[in-house]
Amino acid sequence: MHMNRTNITALGVSGVVALGLAACGSSNNGTGSSSSASSGGGGAASSINGAGATFPQPVYQQWASDLKSQGLTVNYQGIGSGGGIAQFTSGTVDFGATDAAMKDEEVKAAEKKGTPVHIPSVFGAVTVSYNVPGAPKNLKLDGGTVANLFFGNIKTWNDPAITKLNPGSKLPSTKVTVCHRSDESGTSKLFTTFLSDYSAEWKSKIGADKTVKWPTGTGASGNSGVAACVKQNTGAVGYVEQAYALQNGFTTAQLKNKSGNYIKPTLAATAAAGVGLTVPADLRFDSINAPGAKAYPIASATFLLVYKDMCKAGLAKPKAQAVVKWLDYVVGPGQQVAPKLDYAPLPASLLAKDKAKIAGLTCDGSPLKAG
Amino acid sequence: MEAGALEEGRPSGPRGLALRGSALSGLPDRALRLGLLALAALVLALLVFFFIELANQSSLAFSRFGVFGFTFTNNWDVSRNIYGALPLVVGTLITAGVGVLIGVPIAVASALFATELCPRRLKTLLTLLIDLLAAVPSVVYGLWGIFVLIPFLKPVQQSLADTFSFLPFVGGHVAGPSYFVAGLILAIMILPVVAAISREVITTVPAEHKEAALALGATRWEMIRMAILPYSRAGISGAAMLGLGRAIGETIAVTLVVGNAPQLGKQIFDQGYSLAAVVANEFGEAASVPIHRSALIAAGLVLFVLTLIVNAGARLYVRSGAPEGVRR
Amino acid sequence: MSALSAVSPRRRRTDQAARAALGAGAAIALVPLVLVIFYLMKKGLPAWSWHFFTSDPTGSFLGDAGGIRSAIVGTLVLVAVAAAMSIPAGVGVALYLVEYGKAKRFAGLIRYLVDVMTGVPSIVFGLFVYTVLVITSIGGGFAAWKGSLALALLMLPVVTRSAEVVLNLVPDSLREAALALGAPRWRVIFRVVLPSALPGLVTGSLLAVARAAGETAPLLFTAFAVFGLSVDPSQEINSLPVQIFNDARQPRDVIVTRAWGAALTLVLLILITTVVARLATRRSRIA
Repeated sequence: MHMNRTNITALGVSGVVALGLAACGSSNNGTGSSSSASSGGGGAASSINGAGATFPQPVYQQWASDLKSQGLTVNYQGIGSGGGIAQFTSGTVDFGATDAAMKDEEVKAAEKKGTPVHIPSVFGAVTVSYNVPGAPKNLKLDGGTVANLFFGNIKTWNDPAITKLNPGSKLPSTKVTVCHRSDESGTSKLFTTFLSDYSAEWKSKIGADKTVKWPTGTGASGNSGVAACVKQNTGAVGYVEQAYALQNGFTTAQLKNKSGNYIKPTLAATAAAGVGLTVPADLRFDSINAPGAKAYPIASATFLLVYKDMCKAGLAKPKAQAVVKWLDYVVGPGQQVAPKLDYAPLPASLLAKDKAKIAGLTCDGSPLKAG
Repeated sequence: MEAGALEEGRPSGPRGLALRGSALSGLPDRALRLGLLALAALVLALLVFFFIELANQSSLAFSRFGVFGFTFTNNWDVSRNIYGALPLVVGTLITAGVGVLIGVPIAVASALFATELCPRRLKTLLTLLIDLLAAVPSVVYGLWGIFVLIPFLKPVQQSLADTFSFLPFVGGHVAGPSYFVAGLILAIMILPVVAAISREVITTVPAEHKEAALALGATRWEMIRMAILPYSRAGISGAAMLGLGRAIGETIAVTLVVGNAPQLGKQIFDQGYSLAAVVANEFGEAASVPIHRSALIAAGLVLFVLTLIVNAGARLYVRSGAPEGVRR
Repeated sequence: MSALSAVSPRRRRTDQAARAALGAGAAIALVPLVLVIFYLMKKGLPAWSWHFFTSDPTGSFLGDAGGIRSAIVGTLVLVAVAAAMSIPAGVGVALYLVEYGKAKRFAGLIRYLVDVMTGVPSIVFGLFVYTVLVITSIGGGFAAWKGSLALALLMLPVVTRSAEVVLNLVPDSLREAALALGAPRWRVIFRVVLPSALPGLVTGSLLAVARAAGETAPLLFTAFAVFGLSVDPSQEINSLPVQIFNDARQPRDVIVTRAWGAALTLVLLILITTVVARLATRRSRIA
């Protein structure tokens, strides 16, 4: 390239101007992730961005690829429920996703932009998966024993605490390696809620939250990270959503539920956790340790997060319409697709509440219709 | 009118024959000078803004926990919003320390070998290969670390832990990722930088010193010990410190192999954390929690100050030890 | 001991031991390189296929994982925009320092700050852009140009320092000759100084580009990530380092293989850029 004055000054000016423009920000872009990708003519945008929980990521990605053929690209990044709530609150994504319903302080922080709406999408199960060659499949474990495993008190797989629950099974003396989450995770919240219900020591010392001070073990990012940790370490035990256990062929434990039965994490057991729920008006709930006889004790719903008035929160109208299109799919045809990945569809009463919430979404005051 | 000479404002050099006259002919010169000055000022403003912004955003965390409280308390508790960064600071120093302890001797040995002992033809190849290590990005080292180094080292780490468990900080159950593995990867990553600078420093040793030692009957090694090492000691120390600075700031390779446990590990083979890794892992989640975000920025600031101190020290050493010729 | 006496066996042994140790050190220094390249090729080449380079990652949980096309394109876009931001600025600052600033205090301050910038960890640049531009939603949320800005901040000191070295190497005699012929200052810079320094400037810029292409941390929460192909600088974009970073932590073997294939691709891209950079200086040298 001929380095003459015109080229140099042009390059230089453009570089500086680029910085300048960037800093000023254009007024028509506004806040949020509205962009030039929206189609013209008042139709829905052709792509939306979401981020959050890895718990439902498999089924969200399946729904996204279904919707692609209908002209809507849903780009979903699994960054953990904590990340989902944070990005939703900052308005850098069009919708968030979390397995742990937002706490009161989190709702308060989000209210700067508008009223956050929780939309439960599916039920999933948190399995206790283990990688112990020579151990029987579907080991029986109860909440207290799992807590002891994650405390690091149980150091080998043939510990009396485990053999007591599994009489007649031969367990190897492999050392236990614990795998847990390093990021803020709704799956962690569900799992630690279960542990707190069955172990007073866990409840007082560690507690139940999206992130806790794990007494021992390796931290990994995302459900897939914990799955990788379990897969790569002999003697490992970790908690991952059912779909990840299926994807990697993990052996999963049978957990003792509230009624005293040992339940495998199956689609039916997951669905059973959703039966007979009382759900508050803002739909913030969890179904850990559900009372049903056949219910899996660590099964709960996961939520999509949107603002009640999406446009006031910063989305352009076409984007808001596209988000509604996505939500309509989630509570519509998506519910039939979910069981293929062992996610349980929502019970009818909850589904009706969801649809009501979606109908109540507005753009600058006027109700949104799916584009 | 713009000065024609190289020095500003001194019309000492020859002027063009027909350049007197209209003020317009000086305009492009003035415009260029002002333009470049403005650009430099803009960059300066950007950097100053950068530091101010970091300080500003971290003030919330520092005021709540105190500067020393934040940096030296052993309690990084995200769920309770209590932020004491000691495990991160210690983790950063341990991994970088291991990296320097392992990497610098090897780098200096390779530099000495390349400059003094190596046959000519091999020298270019050797230096090229070692420099090639710098072309591998951090994330690739991390990937390699997870799938090649950790599985290979797990039994090695366990046997080292068992054999040397009488030493402090050695022993325990090895899970795989650890301070040690992170330190090892950092050693590999700082090798090219430390080796390159060491080579430059060693090359500046005046030939007379070396020849004098050899003339006195010194063996090759004695010549190195008597003539080269004393002369280049400062420069090599500077190189080591630059390597340390680089190791302190390394993020991605470390976070992939260190285990990401925000606790103060008791053994070198325990999992740990580092300042850079915690920022990379948590800032997506901290977006909407002001105190968490401020704590991460404070961690970034502590990290930055650490690298500043180390690099400033390195510059002093390199400059004092290496006369004109080594420009770093 | 006279200067010509024989070397005692003990000294000879020490000499041989020391030489062996140094040689061993050099050999050990080569081991990681060999191992990294070996595994990159062993695990990365099987991932390479037509499909690998021409399809985007699907994000599918089961089934076809897809290739890395959007990551390659994303890296090219990010680095191109970052280069457009940092190279003119960096060369401009270097020009100022060499032609006008010289020993002045202001220039010294700039030099010092640029030096300081080289030591800033790349994650801090990403953090800075995140807090100043992304959270405040200036110009939208995550965007490729914000990632490029973080990369440009990283590249700026590298470009400035190498450009300064190269520009200083242009002999003053050339400048004086041009001035003696009546050329105004700006013409001297654009027609004499820059063209002579051009190969060195290209080398320095390409080396900065190679460095930026491999960076992950500044992109994590600025450019974020998408699976689909995009060249729009105002939107989120995929990139090779972020793709590798995410894929490395997945359990599925096919995705881990994809990570290796992407790593090999990235290293190859960086190597090619580095080689081209060095060839640029080889073509014409400054006396």
